Formats: sequence, C-alpha cells, structure tokens
Amino acid sequence: MADITRRSFVKMGAVGAGMIALGSTAANAAVSEKGVKYDGEYDVIIIGSGYAALSAGITAAEKGNKVLMVEKMGRIGGNSVINGGLLAVVNSPKQKSEGVNDSAERYIADSMKAGKSINHIENLQVIAERGNDALKLVQKCGAKFYDKLSHLGGHSVPRTYLSANGSGSGIVLPMISYFKKLPNGTIKNKTKFDEFVTDDSGRVVGVSVREKYKFDKKAKDDHRENTGGKRKYYKAKKGVILASGGFCRDTFFRKIQDPRISDSIDSTNQPGATAEVMMQAFKAGAVPVHIGRIQFGPWACPDEKGFGAASNFNINATFRYGISVDPKTNKRYMNELADRLTRATAMFKVIGDEKNFPINICDQGAVDKIIPEIAEKSLKAGVVKKFDTIDALAAEYKLDAAALKKEIAAYNGYVKAGKDPEQGKPVDKTEGVQIVKAPFYATRGVPKLHHTMGGIKINTKAQVISSETELPIPGLYAAGEITGGTHGASRLGSCSIPDCLVFGMVAGENI
Amino acid sequence: MKKVLRFIGVFLFVVPLLYISVKAYGGDNQSPPTITKQEEIKISPELHKKFPMKSMHAKLSLSCVFCHEGQGNNPEEWEYVEEDACLSCHKTKKYLAERLAFMDTLKANPHNSIHDGTNLSCDECHNEHKPSINMCSECHQKEIKENIWMRKVP
Repeated sequence: MADITRRSFVKMGAVGAGMIALGSTAANAAVSEKGVKYDGEYDVIIIGSGYAALSAGITAAEKGNKVLMVEKMGRIGGNSVINGGLLAVVNSPKQKSEGVNDSAERYIADSMKAGKSINHIENLQVIAERGNDALKLVQKCGAKFYDKLSHLGGHSVPRTYLSANGSGSGIVLPMISYFKKLPNGTIKNKTKFDEFVTDDSGRVVGVSVREKYKFDKKAKDDHRENTGGKRKYYKAKKGVILASGGFCRDTFFRKIQDPRISDSIDSTNQPGATAEVMMQAFKAGAVPVHIGRIQFGPWACPDEKGFGAASNFNINATFRYGISVDPKTNKRYMNELADRLTRATAMFKVIGDEKNFPINICDQGAVDKIIPEIAEKSLKAGVVKKFDTIDALAAEYKLDAAALKKEIAAYNGYVKAGKDPEQGKPVDKTEGVQIVKAPFYATRGVPKLHHTMGGIKINTKAQVISSETELPIPGLYAAGEITGGTHGASRLGSCSIPDCLVFGMVAGENI
Repeated sequence: MKKVLRFIGVFLFVVPLLYISVKAYGGDNQSPPTITKQEEIKISPELHKKFPMKSMHAKLSLSCVFCHEGQGNNPEEWEYVEEDACLSCHKTKKYLAERLAFMDTLKANPHNSIHDGTNLSCDECHNEHKPSINMCSECHQKEIKENIWMRKVP
C-alpha cells in the first residue's frame, strides 16, 4: 500500500525543476555508425508502443515509410492500455452536438491555470488545433466513444471523450490492429532500446537494441540490472521517434527529483514506466524540462494497488457528483473538481502522518449517471461500499453521522443554489445531483503517482531540442509523456491522451 | 495436440530403432547412430532441479527439447521459449479465450481482456520453471485476491 504518511506533501508545493547538467554532444554519447553492422533497415524507428508511438507509427507508415516500433515489455501498449481512456478535444463534433461553446484559448487558459503558468503554450496550441485530427485518426482505426462528453476537474467546459469500453485499450487495441495490418509496419515486443547510433555529424541514424529481452518485475531497477537479450542494430534512415512514456515507476530517478517520493509510494503506472530512454535523449543533448514535476492522481484508493477499480468510480461519480470529507472533521476540505495538483496537495494535508484517508461519498443519483460497470466492479472488489443510510455509511468509516448529515445538507444547498461559496466547486455544472437518493456509496481516497510532467523539450514539429545548439537534434523526434513542459506543473485529466496522439501524429508527419 | 501426436509418433518410431541400434552396437557406452535430440543432450539432475516442469506437463512426459526445440545441445545456453512453443499444443490465443470464456466475469477473461484483447504473451502470467503470476493483480489486486475474477494461475 502507498506510503503516504510523509510529513508534508503540502510543503512539496512547487518542486524545483530537476535540471540535469548533461552537456555532452550527440556524437560522444551514442554508438558511432562506423563499424556498426545493421541487422535491419527501416525509415522510421519508434521507441514505445502506446498512444504516441502508435499515432506516430500509423501516420509515418501511411506516408509510405517502413516503420519499426520497439517495446521493451512483453505487453504492447504500456500505460495506454490501462488508463481511463479519456480524451479532451477542443471544438469537437460532440461539443457541437451538445451545444458546448469551447475554444483553443479556453483550453489553454484551463491548462495554464492547472499548470501554474509554466506551460509551453505553443505546444498546447498544437494540441488544441490538431485534437480533431487525432480524434479522426483513432476513429479511422476503429476506436469508439461513449455517447456523452464528460466534464472533468479543472476544465471550464465538458470536452472529454470517454472510450466506449471505459479504458484506453478501447483506443489503443484498434490502433495496434490497424498498425499491424499495414504492410510496412512492424512491432517487436520484448525488445529494449539501449542507445542511439549516430553518424559523423551527430545525426541519429539508428538504434542499438536487445531482442528477447525479459523485463524482470522483481528487480529493483530492471534497466540497470538486467543484462539479458540479444544485441541488434537497426538503421533508421529518416530518424527515431521517442514515445516511451514517463518514469513514475523509476524509484531511483523519481526520488532524486523529489526526495519525498519514497520507494513504497504506489503508482497507477505499469512497471516498465522508467527513465532510461529519456536518459539517452539527455545524453544526446536534449533539453530537460520540469523533470521534478511529478503528478499524483487524486482519485485512487489506499485499499488496492495501482489504478484499481475505485479510481474510475471517484473520477466519474464521487468527485463529480459527490463530496470528499476529512474523517476527523466530517467536513469537506477541497474543491472535488479542482486540478490534480491542488486536490493531491489538499488530500495529503488531510492524510497527514496518521493515514487519515479522506472518504469520498456520492448517492444513487450519481451512480445512475455513470457507466454501470464502473460501480459494479468497484463494489465487487470491495473498495467502494454501498449503504442504505448515511448513518450506516458514517458508522463504517467512523464518521460523526450528525456532522456528516449537516455537511451533506450544506453541499446539497450549494448544488441547489448553483454556487459553492465554501470550496468553489463548479456545482452549476454537476447537473443538479445532490446527495439524497439511497443507497449511498463511499470509498477511501489517496493520491498515487500518475504522470511525470517533465521530460525532454520538443518544438511544435515534435523535434527534440538540443541544450547545446538550441536547435533540433537531427533525426530525433519525441511525443507523449517522455516530453515535458507542455502541461506545466500539473496537467488536467484527459489532456495526456490528446498530447500523445497529436504529437505522435505530428512526429509521424514531419519525420 | 498435433505436436503431442508427432511426439508420440517419433517416440514409437525411435524407441524400437534405439533398441535395435543398441543391440547392433552391442555396448552400453557406445552412442547409437539414430537417436532423438533429447537423449543426445545431457540434463544434469541439478538442472532438472533448477528448472522443474509444471506437473501437468510432467504428466505428459514432455521432454525438455519439446519446448526448447532447436536451441542447441547445451542446456546451459537455452533461452526462454516464444509463445509459438506454447501454442503448438494450446492452439491459438483466440481458441484459448473462447474455451476459457467462462472466466469472463465483468470483461475479465484474462485471455481476452478489456485491456489487451488476445495480445498478451503467455509468459506475462504463465511460467514453466517458476511459479506463475497474475499480471492483472498489478492493478486489480482486490478482484484477484478475493477470487472475484479468477483463481490461481496454472
């Protein structure tokens, strides 16, 4: 279970950007092409196999390139097949049909607010402008979406598409099948990228990988300990696209960036989410951006590992249509729809050293609004519990029933009035759902490591920028969570998938 | 199944031949000319102990090279086998998913799950020489622990 009894997440506030001084030139840090005997030749090689990789791969392959995608894990898709499948699109067809008035400016303002204004706006602009193209790309592959738009925390309007199966796999699996069917697309799993191959000018022209690589889930640091696999060299005539994701599961690296993230802190990420590909990019001269900004997902549950079953319940039901209370005071302590950084900070303050986990509560009216499976699954897992009365709910979590009822009544009043003067939750956008209809639902809440905001710097063409030359590193592109800066200090929910898809597509277009 | 039949076939054919060859050469120490690969390869008791076989596979009297086919004569250098080896008996992943569809409570059929469809490698969960694991429990610990979805991975 997550070790969240850390003294003060609050003090964490803004963690200084973990700038790493790695000033070496590309040529010094990679395998020189001279003397390399290639085992195969491709136009484009992509590291990773999630949203960004697939979007890049499909786009590049459909332009006629011979594309190789390498994935170190046995499982294809990384975090992209295990996330909530939420995709924010600005000025989307669903917004039009639901009469939602949105704009790129609005999206950027929302993102900047959550990102504490250190966002790289030019990249946000690309995501806003190209979101519809990314949506078309995944729909072409066969991705299906839930009828209704979701309205997630920190977004001023509903703009989020939810994958029809409630998981990112609903987007990624069709993309994998689509890519595999292309005659010029190849995926090699259990193939670990180690180093770039560069030519005399420092241009990235290939990769050194190990095939038949078996990721050791029991190793403390697989990529530092595991020497397995067979060495191969592949030429990438047009370049390499890095789409290997973030480093939430790299206990060494994340602790260096933020010493308060102890090894036992749980994460929603798959075990392969480590930093070694980013390290190679730094070695090649890439600019590090906001590396120490590591995001917690505030909607997880301490009674299960990872994302589990409760996260989706909290995202869709309790936080949106209900409340989160401090068991000590029986009172709300945050805007349940604030950005992730604000919520995680508030929750850690409540949790303190005594594992005083907040209780997230909603009623049947809320559950009626969500996909039934989400509730069914978390109830069966026992992480969400159902009660006939508020008294029973209070008894289970050792709350003061009278005080809780008073707090619920106050909240219901705010919903009715369309204004929450206490915590500032946008209750005018929660469809009038109050906590009144039995049965009532509750779960314990905890933030878990979810997304590494920082990474390598890319420009609007997805080219990796060099610290040394301040120009693109020839032959090197990146997209998705391995990149940093775009979302600033903290991103809003459903903004990572469009980032991955759009910049993957942009990389595929430009390479 | 095809492979098992082939194996039995080879066995039926080779054993009498072996018998004849040994007879013909007349010595215990002399290698007979025709022999299956397995007999050529010495598997030490230590190796057998280090790489125990799953009981259901042992029951079928499968030899080491049944899976480690074409990996050379030195067992020390053998590698993990690709899923083709598993599927030579277990047919296809789609077949497995259909046969085990009864496990599909709440879209949790591990062989055709909501997250991976039929994409997973067998060895994400199933190990031959060490205990199997349940990859799903990385995120769905509760569902697995309480046997809501599935029991112990064979």
